[in-house]
Amino acid sequence: MKLWKPAILSLLVILILFPFVYLVLLSMASNWRFPEVLPAYFGLKNWGRIFGSETGLLGSFIISVVISLSVATVSTLSGFFISRTVSYHPRKNTLTLLTYFPYIMAPVVFGACLSFFFLKLGLFGKPTGVIVAQFMIAFPYALIFFSSFWNERTKSLENLVATLGGNRVQTFFKVLFPIAKGMLLICFFQTFLISWFEYGLTSIIGVGKVQTLTIKVFLFIKEANFYYGALSCCLLIFPPVVLLYLNKKYVFNKIV
Amino acid sequence: MKNKYSNIGLLFFVLIGVVPFAAAFIYSVLYSFGVVGVVNDGFTTRFWESSLTSGEFFKSFGYSAAIAAVSVTISVGLALWLALKFTKELNRKLLSFVIYLPLAIPGVVAAFFTFQLFSKAGFFSRLSYKLGWLEEARQFPDLVNDQYAIGIILTFITGVMPFFVLLFLNVYKNERVADLSRLAYSLGATPRQITWRVSLPVMLRKTWTLVVLYFIFLLGAYEVPLILGQESPQMLSVLVIREIKQYDLTKISEGYVVAVIYTIIVSLAAILLFSKKSKTTEAIVDN
Repeated sequence: MKLWKPAILSLLVILILFPFVYLVLLSMASNWRFPEVLPAYFGLKNWGRIFGSETGLLGSFIISVVISLSVATVSTLSGFFISRTVSYHPRKNTLTLLTYFPYIMAPVVFGACLSFFFLKLGLFGKPTGVIVAQFMIAFPYALIFFSSFWNERTKSLENLVATLGGNRVQTFFKVLFPIAKGMLLICFFQTFLISWFEYGLTSIIGVGKVQTLTIKVFLFIKEANFYYGALSCCLLIFPPVVLLYLNKKYVFNKIV
Repeated sequence: MKNKYSNIGLLFFVLIGVVPFAAAFIYSVLYSFGVVGVVNDGFTTRFWESSLTSGEFFKSFGYSAAIAAVSVTISVGLALWLALKFTKELNRKLLSFVIYLPLAIPGVVAAFFTFQLFSKAGFFSRLSYKLGWLEEARQFPDLVNDQYAIGIILTFITGVMPFFVLLFLNVYKNERVADLSRLAYSLGATPRQITWRVSLPVMLRKTWTLVVLYFIFLLGAYEVPLILGQESPQMLSVLVIREIKQYDLTKISEGYVVAVIYTIIVSLAAILLFSKKSKTTEAIVDN
């Protein structure tokens, strides 16, 4: 190996790990004024306040988890079933193209244009409204994701089960779900992350009342409370790290 | 019976996948022409005229397109270089996990982090002060909320490049670029020719639609330019939300004009990219 290669790789690893380390350190700091390179206080005081009502971070964490789990579950299951209809439809290409419109559009603009309807339906400023709104952007992803699963091979398997006397429920539970297990898990993770990372749409439909973690980060930035901002960032990035690890260890490796 | 299930599926597809988008678009069009809206009193084209003549949309569109183009070009360039130069190393056990880590950082956190590092009272400013390169914080160059959008571009690159590294590593393996390169070498090609005539064309041909897709995603990015952008010009999504959510109710329609134009542009892009059964769907799923 050339000498510069390890240097570049080390730099790459440092650059990747630096944000994680820096945000953890910032979340443990307070009273860190310019021009000090190190903070005046460094400890677990901020982290201890997660459980207090002052920051509201525990509540935000829980609401974020509930919203993301709901969005991921509903999107993955509906995407799996409905993509079958779309993929086997004679006008498959047109239907798939229609799916791309909401997928490609900025969620925040989509949310702003839809906000009137959410207001009329009484979903404005409610967690249910945020779940419905996020579902509208996660669903197209799930639909596109599963489109490759419904191919000729899958269709032949379905026909084989029918020929052998299996009904529709058996086809799904005994054949299709087991062979799509890996894809279902990946889609669940991805749609969970779409929801977990979502800010713009949530701020429009939640109107500040549904305070997910991304909304909290923004609120703390506005208040110039960077320590709590960093704390919110840590709560926001560590669950996805765990999911990525599990995804890579147990899902990718098994389906590749 | 089979048709019944199919029709129910289709009904749900239309209700979830098509109706919201169509409703949002029609409502925006009606609002932009003054047909609906709290202070609007009937059809008019004046909001369109004022939006198009003010030039703010075109400025914002050009600004957003330039930022997205620069970010995607640099990200793709760096990702290709890393994927081709470090193919073996990046596939090793520990590194293969480490390169996934940036995917766990959402835009709002990336923007917050960039702000913490590059603002005038940020980490690098403090470091420069300690090293004696600065006497005051204001001497630190404008790297966030700046006119050249350096902070935004840096954040976009750090967010987009890791995805492309993973994508190119995947394509490198699936398209057997290593085998093709060995074949080209045995036929007398130089390393430079192998890179420019074999590896890059194969990898870019397979991924160009995703590159364009990322350009469109960055064009509509919201939270990063909201934190790191300047007052004017603003990126498209920030401009749309600023106009729609403003207190002057008579100006809201102009926000919807921008939203309608933006929707038409991205829809046309979707039609151009995906109208023929392209391989993009497979690429999105595979990666």
